[in-house]
Amino acid sequence: MDWLSVANAAINGIVIGMLLALPALAITLVFGIARFPNAATGDYMTLGAYTTVASQAFLGGSVVTSVFGAMSVTALVSLFFYFWVFRALAERSQVARLIASIGVAFAVRSTITFFAGQDQHVVDVPLVRAWNFGGIRLLPTDLYILTTALTALVIVFCIMHLTPTGRRMRAIADNAELAAASGIRSKRVMIFLWSLTGAFCGLGGALLGIKAVVVPELGWELLMPMFAGVILGGIGSPVGAVLGIVTFSIAQEVASLFAGPPYKIVFAFVILLCVLLLRPQGMFGRPMAAR
Amino acid sequence: MSLLEIKHVSGGYGEVDIISGIDMHVDPQEIVTIAGTNGAGKSTLIKAAMGLLPRISGSIIFDGTDLLALPIEDRIRVGISYVPQVRNVFGALTVLENLQVVEHATNKQARIREMFDLFPALAGRRAAYAENLSGGERQQLAFARALMSSPRLVLLDEPSAALSPALTDQVFMEVKRLRTIDVAVLMVEQRARQALAFSDRGYILDSGRIVLADTGANLLANEEMSDVYIGRGQAPSGSHPSHHPA
Repeated sequence: MDWLSVANAAINGIVIGMLLALPALAITLVFGIARFPNAATGDYMTLGAYTTVASQAFLGGSVVTSVFGAMSVTALVSLFFYFWVFRALAERSQVARLIASIGVAFAVRSTITFFAGQDQHVVDVPLVRAWNFGGIRLLPTDLYILTTALTALVIVFCIMHLTPTGRRMRAIADNAELAAASGIRSKRVMIFLWSLTGAFCGLGGALLGIKAVVVPELGWELLMPMFAGVILGGIGSPVGAVLGIVTFSIAQEVASLFAGPPYKIVFAFVILLCVLLLRPQGMFGRPMAAR
Repeated sequence: MSLLEIKHVSGGYGEVDIISGIDMHVDPQEIVTIAGTNGAGKSTLIKAAMGLLPRISGSIIFDGTDLLALPIEDRIRVGISYVPQVRNVFGALTVLENLQVVEHATNKQARIREMFDLFPALAGRRAAYAENLSGGERQQLAFARALMSSPRLVLLDEPSAALSPALTDQVFMEVKRLRTIDVAVLMVEQRARQALAFSDRGYILDSGRIVLADTGANLLANEEMSDVYIGRGQAPSGSHPSHHPA
């Protein structure tokens, strides 16, 4: 195995990881603030990918406008399910809300399948030749995906740390009772949270649609790696979610060189287990006893 | 007219009442201590006033406003602040952010400057994450956060919990200082002897009911009650309340 193959696999892992960092961040934000693991995250991504495809097919929009359309539609659907399902279950147990989110995931996927069928679709992007730097290959499309994902992540981190809304979100994530006693209205924060995470899932789905074939199970199949990445980074830590999923994706892609693509996820989970044995709270998580 | 008036309040977390038939009041600029044995319902009573008790009956009136009709988020607006026993600051936020995040603070920047003047130790630590503060700094931040909204009543749930005796003295000094800035205090305190020594009045709680209400000095002088509910020991000298005898 030459180092160029490893480097190319690692680059691919970084691109996929950065792309999946968007929904992974959505998972960790919802977990930290709404306090449950949202299993519908993957299917919100699928919705984003299909909306991009539909927007191109029926409205003839450019990739950029279609991606913005996907973000808007997914944000609206995310808000719809917040108002319809998750807000009503806000006082119920974490398990009840997890099960409800699985139901939402099925509802989204079934609706997509009802209208789009099981056929494969692709997001229409111009074919481009890969840049070659002495054997290290990089697709311009991957660079665009990387830049877009990175920009979105920078924006969300700026929102979290530089705006009053971001401070409120972090305060609720840290201590919901104290936040309420400090006058922070959690319902307003929740509306922003579900809009933001919906838009992020939509963007992640649209970018994934550019890189992969769009099928109804697109996001659902990525749910386990996304959760694994979030756990690896440390549940509730936004920085951890990004670095966790990037690490997990690199591990998967590099492992596929040695173990073959079917077993790459097994190898990645072995890495996850090793990290959790050494640091049960994940790379950037805080020990639960200290929270 | 009382600032806070609690009438016939009962409630709890499940079906069983933790507090029952509570009647009490707090006057403006008064320091009132709730003492009692472990599990008497002291913290539950404070939480009831702040709206953190899931089930409650009776009435809690704050300066003419029915608090039970207000969501927790709005109680700060009418002039009540709350400092919980533990986790009383946002550990993941910096000192400055802990103050910025408080709602209903008029002219927030000016108020933050006032808080740093009031607690100078915090001024040099404004960029530090609250989880990295020392116990004393953390308690000062908890007080500053509670004072951001310019409250007229602060509810303190065991402010000396888990603090060393030296830090406890420091915290009690801060509590006494609240009166000088026109803030009334309703405080639950396990170190009741120390707290009652500078409190205007006190209530003794047992099994969710008030069994005695009197001035802080009289409660300390009542040897029988004192031994059972307050514990033996000497109150710090020179700690008598300076005003508002009941």
